[in-house]
Amino acid sequence: MTGRARARGRPPRQGSTLPAVGEAPLQQPQQPQQLQQLHVPPPQLEEPGGHGPLRGFKRVLQERRPEGLQVSSGLQDLSLRDRGGRRRDFHDLGVNTRQAMVHVQESKTGLSGRMVKLTTNHFRLTSRPQWALYQYHVDYSPEMEARRLRSALLFQHEEHIGKTHAFDGSILFLPKKLENKVTELFSRTRNGEDVKITVTMTNELPPTSPTCLQFYNIIFRRLLKMLNLQQIGRNYYNPSDLVSIPNHRLMVWLGFTSSILQYEENVMLCADVSHKVLRGETVLDTMHSLHSQVGEEKFRDACAKELIGLIVLTRYNNRTYRIDDIDWDNNPKGTFRKSDGSEMSFVEYYRKQYNIEISDWMQPVLISQMKRKRGNMQGPVALIPELCSLTGLTDKMRSDFSMMKDLAIHTRLPPEQRQREIGRLLNYIQKDDNVQKELRNWGLSFDYKSVSFTGRVVQGEKIFQSGNMFDYNPQFADWTKEMRGVPLMHAVPVDSWLLIYTRRNYDVANTLLQSLFKVTPSMGIRMSKPNMIEVDDRTEAYLRVLQQRVTPDTNIVFCVLSSSRKDKYDAIKKYLCTDCPIPSQCVLARTLSKPQTIMTIATKIALQMNCKMGGELWSVEIPLKQVMIVGIDCYHDTISGKQSVAGFVASLNQTVTRWFSRCVVQSRGQELVDGIKVCFQTALRTWSKWNKCLPSRIFVYRDGVGDGQLNTLVNYEVPQFLDCLKSVGTDYSPRLTVIVVKKRVAARFFAEIGGGLKNPPPGTVVDTVVTRPEWYDFFIVSQTVKNGCVAPTHYNVIYDTSQLKPDHVQRLTYKLCHMYYNWSGIIRVPAPCQYAHKLAFLVGQSIHREPNLMLSDRLYYL
Amino acid sequence: MDKNFQEEFTQVIKFKPPLYKQRHQFVKDLVEKYKPKKVADLGCADCSLLRMLKFCSCIEELAGLDICANVMKEKMHTLSPLPADYLQPSERSLTITLHHGSVAHKDPCMLGFDLVTCIELIEHLEEPELKKFPEVVFGFMAPSIVVISTPNSEFNPLLPGVMLYRHPDHKFEWNQAQFQSWALETARCYDYSVEFTGVGHPPTGMERAGFCTQIGVFTRKYPQSGESVLSEKPTEAVYKTVFKAVYPSLKDEKYLQNAVISEVIFTAQIIKHRLTSKHEEYGNDPERKSKFQPSMDCFSDYLGKLVVEKNMEPFVSGNEVYIPLAIIFSFPKVNRLCGTFEKLCKLIAGKVTLSSDGSAVMFSIEGE
Repeated sequence: MTGRARARGRPPRQGSTLPAVGEAPLQQPQQPQQLQQLHVPPPQLEEPGGHGPLRGFKRVLQERRPEGLQVSSGLQDLSLRDRGGRRRDFHDLGVNTRQAMVHVQESKTGLSGRMVKLTTNHFRLTSRPQWALYQYHVDYSPEMEARRLRSALLFQHEEHIGKTHAFDGSILFLPKKLENKVTELFSRTRNGEDVKITVTMTNELPPTSPTCLQFYNIIFRRLLKMLNLQQIGRNYYNPSDLVSIPNHRLMVWLGFTSSILQYEENVMLCADVSHKVLRGETVLDTMHSLHSQVGEEKFRDACAKELIGLIVLTRYNNRTYRIDDIDWDNNPKGTFRKSDGSEMSFVEYYRKQYNIEISDWMQPVLISQMKRKRGNMQGPVALIPELCSLTGLTDKMRSDFSMMKDLAIHTRLPPEQRQREIGRLLNYIQKDDNVQKELRNWGLSFDYKSVSFTGRVVQGEKIFQSGNMFDYNPQFADWTKEMRGVPLMHAVPVDSWLLIYTRRNYDVANTLLQSLFKVTPSMGIRMSKPNMIEVDDRTEAYLRVLQQRVTPDTNIVFCVLSSSRKDKYDAIKKYLCTDCPIPSQCVLARTLSKPQTIMTIATKIALQMNCKMGGELWSVEIPLKQVMIVGIDCYHDTISGKQSVAGFVASLNQTVTRWFSRCVVQSRGQELVDGIKVCFQTALRTWSKWNKCLPSRIFVYRDGVGDGQLNTLVNYEVPQFLDCLKSVGTDYSPRLTVIVVKKRVAARFFAEIGGGLKNPPPGTVVDTVVTRPEWYDFFIVSQTVKNGCVAPTHYNVIYDTSQLKPDHVQRLTYKLCHMYYNWSGIIRVPAPCQYAHKLAFLVGQSIHREPNLMLSDRLYYL
Repeated sequence: MDKNFQEEFTQVIKFKPPLYKQRHQFVKDLVEKYKPKKVADLGCADCSLLRMLKFCSCIEELAGLDICANVMKEKMHTLSPLPADYLQPSERSLTITLHHGSVAHKDPCMLGFDLVTCIELIEHLEEPELKKFPEVVFGFMAPSIVVISTPNSEFNPLLPGVMLYRHPDHKFEWNQAQFQSWALETARCYDYSVEFTGVGHPPTGMERAGFCTQIGVFTRKYPQSGESVLSEKPTEAVYKTVFKAVYPSLKDEKYLQNAVISEVIFTAQIIKHRLTSKHEEYGNDPERKSKFQPSMDCFSDYLGKLVVEKNMEPFVSGNEVYIPLAIIFSFPKVNRLCGTFEKLCKLIAGKVTLSSDGSAVMFSIEGE
């Protein structure tokens, strides 16, 4: 046989569906897309497995296959940790960081503050005493490949294995122990072939083992399916609970997000209300209305801008796709190659497969690149705009105030109502006979009353402002009023500045100027008359003025913009952040046009300008000495998907009022961590320049960590920080604390006040019951909200040599939430995270490369 | 020698598309041809045929029956309405029901169907069940059309690896003569006509073997006999319903109201937009025409015509825009949804802000 013939004779790659033992972790590298083949999403009929309840199951269990029969609980932990990046473990199970921190082995709870009675959205999962889950390995002789066939053959023996089972084709879970360790069963296939099935018990899993947790989640998803909830993304929605908002062509589905995890003392279900916003219009509708808005010329650009990156839901199956491109040269009459190799037009395909008549044959075709292989398809998928519904909100919609207000009525549920909605899910579960039967068969049940416990409300902070000190009303967590008339901590004089405006906005610019002159003296800001420059309302005109009139003495450039055109803003910011590093302030003329609010706005602008020039507004007491606080956040370009930006800020002084900043711009595929190392080094150098020594304590607040990325952080990023410190000098070993900050958490807390449920007051700390035993973690509710439920922020201390008590770490974190200068109140995250976020956002959205380091000691990105 | 012969066919006999798909396509073609409203699939197994038929727009009621509840349950959730079905409820109503039970038993829920399909069913029936089967299907259910498919045993030698039957659960497999005589006898007995066909053509030279799957299409010869027969039929339910999905449809007042409100507000907003942008004298570009934009251009032409013909005009008064309901009603989409003007008024009452006399949709233009 020649080599070529041998290659041909090989079975197709997809031939074997079951990876051999030990093969699973070795992912085949993604094949380059040499075949520019378009696929139409497969009809549901052909889907193997599809969205069935076993899909997640399979994913979970394939991980363990390498261990085969010798699986032991110790090994399992290892395999969970070693999993590849592609399959994500959303709950970061198996990342045990607490064990390395001796000082929190005994206890990670703080003591200070007054007690507050809290309930949460967690529900205890209970199992009968001596409950265990039995794991079996199932072998077929002769070997059977198809999963369905394997299941069918096995389930012919329900009298042996029982009616309650979960099986992925190789691993079987049963609630009962079979009589013998090895059970042999005999079945016959439809071809009359006799098959010997060997069921071997491999494990008896206690209720808290990680495998069991994954198993609970799989079973719970099964229950949600039984309740007829529809899965969209990771959550489940009740299609009959639909709220239509016709004014904006929106529909809101009420649903639930849920997860079952091992918490401090119990395995619990965390359930929260989730809202899915769907749009009553198709992509084609959107294209039509865009066309009527922008006209023919800019139509294609407008479509690309508005649509690319959006998630669409196809009408004929329950699939979501991301629009990656629009193929204007194609239309529904175009053809594609089906999986069997034959050519077919879209029109014909949809008619044949779904009885759908495409009405507009001139529409372009949407292209979606699939990240993962789905079934036997790979590469781009073509979608017809008419058949795609839009989901979610665009940035444009988010900035539509009236739309968001109308939405908020339905999505921002106050505490009592939210808890009631969550209770409804539990009620469904409790009332449904089939669900109860399934639970009973597995020997599981829920506590239908949510968990209650006590939290602590730590003391409010005192705000210092140039010799003055004041308290704020803890109920509002805001000190805008208290600040009034008090000089700033450090005011930077504005001696030389430019005020640029268009002719139309001359009046507005003047009003602003007068107001600024009125509000600045009491803040202690000395402000001279600006250089007033009138420009044409064109980007080039603005840039020309900047090139000609900005001098090295210029303190700040102020632009009054007539529209929220992003290109103009971007051009100005780009020029003034890179080529000509001068702080800049852009304001929309519309913002300044209301006489009744102009003083408030001028005050805010004056504060912001001061910060951008290196001023300081207020401080809180920071008891630690020689401390450097670092904040990191990431921005991912969702539109082009090409760039990620990491913003990095580090405090420079004892009062933590001045910040050094850098950022890392990187294209896809690069490791973020290398860039962060460089930032860290420069930050240390700058700190030592400012303080004539090196910091003895460093706190890193790391935001922008996705679900399932904790492992990478612990194993790669933290060692890099340590390396960095080592490289400074052998005798230098500061105390380092790394804290992962997470805003998107499902946990909600409700304070039981006066018989009702209220939002917990700012400063509420939770570090028991709903935290995770394997972590040194806590929740803080730092901000207040006007309507809806306040979302706690989760802090996970993944590395800590500070030797500080949990109390002190919690207090420091809360203090830092007071230090964000764009808001005279407490915010959701420590200020360094918010600064890092602002920086990354500005660079990612407008500048696209690292700003000039001349600016790095000021908050120019506010 | 014999073995070699068989091996050759292992490669030859591979149906494309696969045989089960051809059977399903056969049923689908039949549905397209006769447009039945109520279709039942006996022995629906994993519901794959039902899943295909739910896309046929003539069908308003689909039912599946199987003796094994587990196999139905495995994939029955795929018969539930999709999110998009709620987003754009269809005009037709559709209910899909799955029953657990035997074709040897009569249940009133199976009455009144136009088409009953028994795809690869009868060969799974034990002798006593097979005996009762014609009476249940042809005598009791008595739909206008019955489709029965079953393996053709004459084809079996051409299939690799088939020893006795194609599936261990098959109780028998008939040759063409056996099936046809059974079918003709049944048809005669219950006053049906029957035509024979099949799917899965035999290879050239082997035509005498016949189709791999033989199919009999039975057509009732007598017209639907109304209530007299119904009253004789037993009304005791013996099947157990395991699944029921009611698709959102515009026939349901709730969804119709949503659709109408959304369409009314959308239409009114477009008119308002045109009206207010006319005030600002912009966007009046006569060159703005493209192939892509037929619907919108039609829209403004249409609006112009309406204003002229009917002397109805939206107007601005103070901070409010008034768009007469009569204008909105005359838009084809709204018109088609509501049918009558009274219905329109009834559906939007209390849901859309109207002028004091209720004749126009009112919008505030403040804050724009």
